[in-house]
Amino acid sequence: MKRLLYALGWLLLATMLCQCSDDDNNTPPIDPVETPQGLFVINAGNYNTSNASLTFYDPVGNGYDNEVFAKQNGYKLGDTAQSMSIHNGLGWIVVNNSHILYAIDLKTLKEKGRITGINSPRYICFLSNEKAYVSAMYGNQLTIINPKTYAIIGSITVPKNTAIGNTGSTEEMVLIGKYLYVTCWSYEKNIVKIDTTTDEVVGVLEVGIQPSSLVADRNGKLWTICDGGYEGSPVGYAAPTLCRINPETMSVEACYAFTKGDYLSKVRINGTGDQLYWLNNGLPYRMDISATELPSTVAFETEGYLYALTIDPENNDIYVADAIDYQQAGIIYRYSATGKPLVSFYAGVIPTEFCWNK
Amino acid sequence: MKRLLHTLLLLFVAGMAYSQEGIDSLIAIDEVAIVGRRPMKQIGVQRTEFESVALQEHIALSMADVLTYNSSVFVKNYGRATLSTVAFRGTSPSHTQVLWNGMKLNSPMLGMTDFSMIPSYFIDEASLLHGSSSISETGGGLGGAVKLATRPKEYEGFHLQFVQGVGSFSTFDEYLQLGYGNDRWQLSTRLVYATSPNDYKYVNRDKKLNIYDEEHNIIDQYHPTERNRNGAFKDFHALQEIYYRLTDRDRLSLTAWYTGTNRELPMISTSYAEDEQIENRQREETLRALLGWERIASVGRLTAQAGYIHSWSAYDRRITGAGISEGEAESESGGLPDGTMEYSRNRQHTLYGHLSGEYLPSERWLFSGEVTAHHHMSQSKGKEVIDSDGTHRLGLDKERTELTATATARWRATPWLGVGLTLREELYGEEFSPLIPALFLDGELIRGGRLVLKGSLSRNYRFPTLTDLYFQPGGNPDLRPEKGWSYDVGMDCRLGNEEPLAFHGSLTWFDSHIEDWILWYPKSMGYYTPENVKEVHSYGIEVESSLSWRPTRDWLVALHGSYAWTPSLNEGDPFSSADRSVGKQLPYVPEHSASATLRAGWRRWELSYKWCAYSERYTLSSNGSSITGTLDSYALSNLSLARTCSLAWCDLSLRGAINNLFNKEYVTVLSRPMPGINYEIFIGITPKWGKGRNQ
Repeated sequence: MKRLLYALGWLLLATMLCQCSDDDNNTPPIDPVETPQGLFVINAGNYNTSNASLTFYDPVGNGYDNEVFAKQNGYKLGDTAQSMSIHNGLGWIVVNNSHILYAIDLKTLKEKGRITGINSPRYICFLSNEKAYVSAMYGNQLTIINPKTYAIIGSITVPKNTAIGNTGSTEEMVLIGKYLYVTCWSYEKNIVKIDTTTDEVVGVLEVGIQPSSLVADRNGKLWTICDGGYEGSPVGYAAPTLCRINPETMSVEACYAFTKGDYLSKVRINGTGDQLYWLNNGLPYRMDISATELPSTVAFETEGYLYALTIDPENNDIYVADAIDYQQAGIIYRYSATGKPLVSFYAGVIPTEFCWNK
Repeated sequence: MKRLLHTLLLLFVAGMAYSQEGIDSLIAIDEVAIVGRRPMKQIGVQRTEFESVALQEHIALSMADVLTYNSSVFVKNYGRATLSTVAFRGTSPSHTQVLWNGMKLNSPMLGMTDFSMIPSYFIDEASLLHGSSSISETGGGLGGAVKLATRPKEYEGFHLQFVQGVGSFSTFDEYLQLGYGNDRWQLSTRLVYATSPNDYKYVNRDKKLNIYDEEHNIIDQYHPTERNRNGAFKDFHALQEIYYRLTDRDRLSLTAWYTGTNRELPMISTSYAEDEQIENRQREETLRALLGWERIASVGRLTAQAGYIHSWSAYDRRITGAGISEGEAESESGGLPDGTMEYSRNRQHTLYGHLSGEYLPSERWLFSGEVTAHHHMSQSKGKEVIDSDGTHRLGLDKERTELTATATARWRATPWLGVGLTLREELYGEEFSPLIPALFLDGELIRGGRLVLKGSLSRNYRFPTLTDLYFQPGGNPDLRPEKGWSYDVGMDCRLGNEEPLAFHGSLTWFDSHIEDWILWYPKSMGYYTPENVKEVHSYGIEVESSLSWRPTRDWLVALHGSYAWTPSLNEGDPFSSADRSVGKQLPYVPEHSASATLRAGWRRWELSYKWCAYSERYTLSSNGSSITGTLDSYALSNLSLARTCSLAWCDLSLRGAINNLFNKEYVTVLSRPMPGINYEIFIGITPKWGKGRNQ
């Protein structure tokens, strides 16, 4: 009866058309399990939609594969993947709105373990095989985990902007010596310094409106981008800035202001720690760490509106991502260090971060 | 023709209606209505009418359920008793205009309507106006319009009906109707209260849980069977109607509809958050009141209405549990509660006025005209907005007056040819629409309305919503209205106007272009902003048929079926050379959708089988197949059996329903699992109070 009813039902429907993907880019697919060295692309997917995914790209063989997590594990990566970090042979993927951290074997890409119970995790920073910090989009805290036992072992509370009844937030982290530096981005203004031996906050620097990304240069100085908020934001609205910070004294050494309304994101640094890169209004810029003024032109000509950026730590090739309309697989463009276009390939929906496995 | 009839009978399945077959029978049946002559008002109009049996099958149904199983429009469900939107002809939910007794129900802020909030037991008449056919009633229906109405009952004396429903997942539905009527007055009060923890079980295919050995190595994984978490709801609706017959020609009416809902929004299937970690809740209180006067004369009709809508809604997404204080969830002023991730408060006042008239100077002409005014006052508060001078303000605090005027002339040039022309003008705020014309044609190929050829051609406009234009952050005051051209042609066939067999079928081709389609895109700054980005070409076929068969006095079998093929293609400019969305089907628009109902009545028994099917939907604008890029096609079946009993002092009705009969695992929206097989029982009691029995 069931089959008859279904058959009758589907008699009503015309044959459905199958639309196949047309990957008309110039990079062939590969099997990531065979080529574990390379670049992971973390595709956030649409918020509250569960279409995050992981892409793997082999820069030597110039091949790629999409949805590698789901293909190797048999379940979805989750909702709004944010970042990936590598430590001790494992790749740790932070899936923000699924509230989970997955550890995957870098050879098989299969899950080795997971940590749940952390609300809205964003980034992970490893101190040792038994200690790492996890930042949070909605929380003025860092969660301390033991990556070996997959256990939450503590937390550190950081100051928050209480004036606006906010949750507080912690974002990107850099470890210099025994100190951890973390930006407080969402509706916040601070960079916080934490002594990792005591897990106590030892310094707070109000650097500007919404400091987002954070890198350390070869001189041991920190660079951050304050995106400046938006018109009407309760935390304020100002011209975005690129700031150099002395981490020892927790003081701002230099701040370069952009035009109010510019959208600044993703300050990144090359492998030798002397060239800064960032995106402004979807275009890539580059500046030597010794420069005294902002560059007036783009680093190189690109297509689309760029959303993410990384630099190959070995050969300084630059990879940028365009999310296109945010409703389809974004595209990754690879350029040489001099800005010559090399290859491109489609990754997943909203490529948001990169992670090198070298 | 006989062969055609047989083929159609095999292919299309269908519904049936009740009528009162006698005062001691609650199960009685209306057959397919056959009219000898098509009404002037329906010249060229593509209209789907829902029968009362579909609307009032049982009290747990919302209009989303009715539309799913009785039409081919796409109903997008985010879960059981969760946001359900409706889209016609490959358009978006905000292109579907919804009218209740003539007054717009679409949110002036968001543009769309949540059909899960409309209990079908409150609706006495419902119809769909496809494409151009909506223009005579409302503007902005680029896909079409859903027309809902309440109507006076014909009570003589007192009437009471109470229905208790009990269903799976501890769901309780209560329905009470009180009525009184005499020659002049008709009073009716309807109350619906529905509650459920809504924690249905499903196998979560999006997750795996690990089994570890003692050294924390994963030795096995499995898809867990989970419950729908955070999905509880409490919905209360009250509808008060008062009708007073002033004279034989004049009638006054007062209708008020209150809705109070408190719904959790279920967690997405890939969430590993603990139940107590996050609260995700939506609350709404809405009052719609409408005062009307109607005069009916032999040469026409005059109607005047005044209405008011007040709506308050709140959305909270908060971290709860350890370390977070029990903050005040309201916080209409001042800071947000502790742990707030997302927060919004919306308040809406709408004043409504409407005048319309119809004039029928002869059998060949019908003139009608209407003037409608809506004045919206919208306030919305999300995360606080602070001006540079330190002033706190709301995310949206705007008023807009919307005036529309419509004139229609319909002419039956010959007994077999009808022509209609509608001209519409709209003023939104200070912006006039261009003149919106719609032309309708109707040609009778076989006399008596047996075979009618019809078509329409129209231009249409939809103005951006207040949120589109002004919400801070993100609103874009430079948005242009969406505009479209569409036409359709179709055939309508009615056969067998004498028992025992009657058939109605229609087949329509439609084609429409919409320019300046508004979509919200994420801005890098962390908020979304709307832009006029797409040009969409949608076209396709709509088929509808119904058939009723009464072999003997005790039996009636009725079938109803509908099917739509709706390619809806993005023909806009590419965002960049990498954009693969051009020429592709819009996300979440199925190319094929179908529904069918079969009802069989025998004496006091009624068996009903309902079926719906949607083809694969893409979640991405580029359509490519990937693990999350496509959603599987699915077909669902519901079955119910009802019986009435007539006791000395009351009528009793019993109904048992099985939903998702074959326990199909499915989602309408990515990672929003829907319930498997579930059951409901309804017991209804209608006391007989002497003369006051329901006639």
